[in-house]
Amino acid sequence: MTRPLTVALVAGGALLARRALRRRIGASPLWPMPALEEPVSGRRRENRRPSSHRVLVAERTEPAEGVVRLRLEGADLPPWEPGAHIDVVLPSGAVRQYSLCGDPDDRGAYTIATRVLEGGRGGSRELRERLHEGTEMEIRGPRNRFPLVAAPSYLFVAGGIGITPLLPMVRAAERAGADWRLMYCGRSRASMPFLDELEQAGADGGRVTVVAEDESGPPGLAFLGGLPAETAVYCCGPEGLMDAVSGALGEARAPHLERFTASAAVPGGAFALELRRSGRVLTVPADRSVLSVVRDELPNVSYSCTQGFCGTCRQRVLEGEIDHRDELLTDAEREDSMLICVSRCRGGRLVLDL
Amino acid sequence: MSNTQPVTVASEHTALKARKVAFAWEDTPLHWVPGDPFTTHTINVLHLLLPAGERWFVHVYKQVLPHIRDDRLREDVIGFIGQEAVHSQAHDDVLPHLRALGLDPTPYTAQVDWFFEKLLGDRTLPPGKARDWWLKERVALIAAIEHYTAFLGDWVLGAEELDRQGADPVMLDLLRWHGAEEVEHRSVAFDLFMHVDGGYRRRVRTWAAAFSALAFLWQRGTRFFMANDPTLLDRRASFRDFHDGGRRGVLPSTPAMLRSIPRYLSRTYHPSQEGSTAQALAYLASSPGANGLPHPANGGR
Repeated sequence: MTRPLTVALVAGGALLARRALRRRIGASPLWPMPALEEPVSGRRRENRRPSSHRVLVAERTEPAEGVVRLRLEGADLPPWEPGAHIDVVLPSGAVRQYSLCGDPDDRGAYTIATRVLEGGRGGSRELRERLHEGTEMEIRGPRNRFPLVAAPSYLFVAGGIGITPLLPMVRAAERAGADWRLMYCGRSRASMPFLDELEQAGADGGRVTVVAEDESGPPGLAFLGGLPAETAVYCCGPEGLMDAVSGALGEARAPHLERFTASAAVPGGAFALELRRSGRVLTVPADRSVLSVVRDELPNVSYSCTQGFCGTCRQRVLEGEIDHRDELLTDAEREDSMLICVSRCRGGRLVLDL
Repeated sequence: MSNTQPVTVASEHTALKARKVAFAWEDTPLHWVPGDPFTTHTINVLHLLLPAGERWFVHVYKQVLPHIRDDRLREDVIGFIGQEAVHSQAHDDVLPHLRALGLDPTPYTAQVDWFFEKLLGDRTLPPGKARDWWLKERVALIAAIEHYTAFLGDWVLGAEELDRQGADPVMLDLLRWHGAEEVEHRSVAFDLFMHVDGGYRRRVRTWAAAFSALAFLWQRGTRFFMANDPTLLDRRASFRDFHDGGRRGVLPSTPAMLRSIPRYLSRTYHPSQEGSTAQALAYLASSPGANGLPHPANGGR
């Protein structure tokens, strides 16, 4: 072969190779590497807990004795589903959670309602005394740990102000044409909000049973045992009512529960901690973190910031109700894991995959 | 023996703690070094590599913890892990902002994710020798990479030309907070490598792998950003641009980078010989993002 021909062939080959390479890199920046099927990077922010919003108290009413209802208007409020709640940052900086009880289709405002508890932690009193029409405040959320699952029929059991998360559920069930019933318990009719609206909604076929203790005594729950298996049971109210509903349903099925206050064990109190893989049961006293108790047994458990933001100490939770106190995990991650440096247990027992 | 052992500068050691940070990206423009897309995108490659890369550091180090038999080193590694985890999160939060500005990083980051999660991830190796080897190899890789993160951190802390060019204050704060923590913890990865293995041949081998990988990932990253920037007409990126940026002081200079190579390969090398912990701590004490302060030029958050 002559020399010029060789040069031309090599140059042509190099040119073709460069073009081919450029085309591949154009389509795949790190060619020849493949991509991870479900990319991880860049997804954190969108999965994170919803950010905070400024809202204005547009309307304040008292739908029943000792109950305050606020309509909070804001721009670009995220959509929500029945059962959702928001964090309200009170003027003192205290944060309280309230279920949304308005209409999910009303995109310009959230509605919350609370009973003012004189003996409570002070959140509801502060809400009554310091939040007036025209007050601006911060909210976070919404989040939903009490979602309405699809079912052919529903039984809702509300106790007093526990009606708030159930109210949008009732409306949704009615709209979906589901077979629903509501048992609404309270001390007296005057103290029970939203009675008119509910009795209207359930007018056909007596879907709503109102049990006011001053008229008819405590609610009879024995009928729960005979409910068909496909009926989804939702309950929100005082601890005693939720225990009674769980008990009446029997061992085999569990109701969907929403707790307004932490269960019998005081948050921050002591609880039992089982490390399933190590086969050990420990006690976490009120003044120590899960992490510090675990470290006594397993010195190599990983952790770092001890303040709930770096995420290094995240562990899988097998059983128990988690009291999340971190600022990092997404709702999906909160389902079955926790940051053991700050988060605790709402019930009496927690089981970790350790 | 004196010329074959790392020489530690003890005064450079400091206790490590992860810092909680917050950066508001709403006002950061696409070309955050004004009028200089090449510099912007060359530095932006950090946001492509670090979320996956530093997540991988944490993943590897969690596995090493049980092998550490020195209490102070264990404390250092624990602090290091938290700092790296927060770095990864902070850079990850920039990516949605780039997407919002019309520059979707996902094609690149999905491949970097594969690189760290699969290629450098846990292999299905039998417990014992093979698994130990792979863990040591990755610990050595991290030590080599940390040599460069400390180099870059030290550079960005002193890169006053970026301020003169009017670079976005939030982005500069992210880079300098991160850079300062890299300088602050620069000895940990090397100390850990020396503790679990420390073999010189492994140091050289993993340095070569890390350096080649970084050069490959970086030039592809810069090219990727330049080619996909919706506002650019001239989409070329060359090594010459990089060299020029180094001369102007908006990027690390090529000679300084070349000089750092023999230093890492020296048998007496120890990271505490380079950079200044005092300078890093001074920046960290005043960083708006690390102290919950508003960024002045953004009029608060």
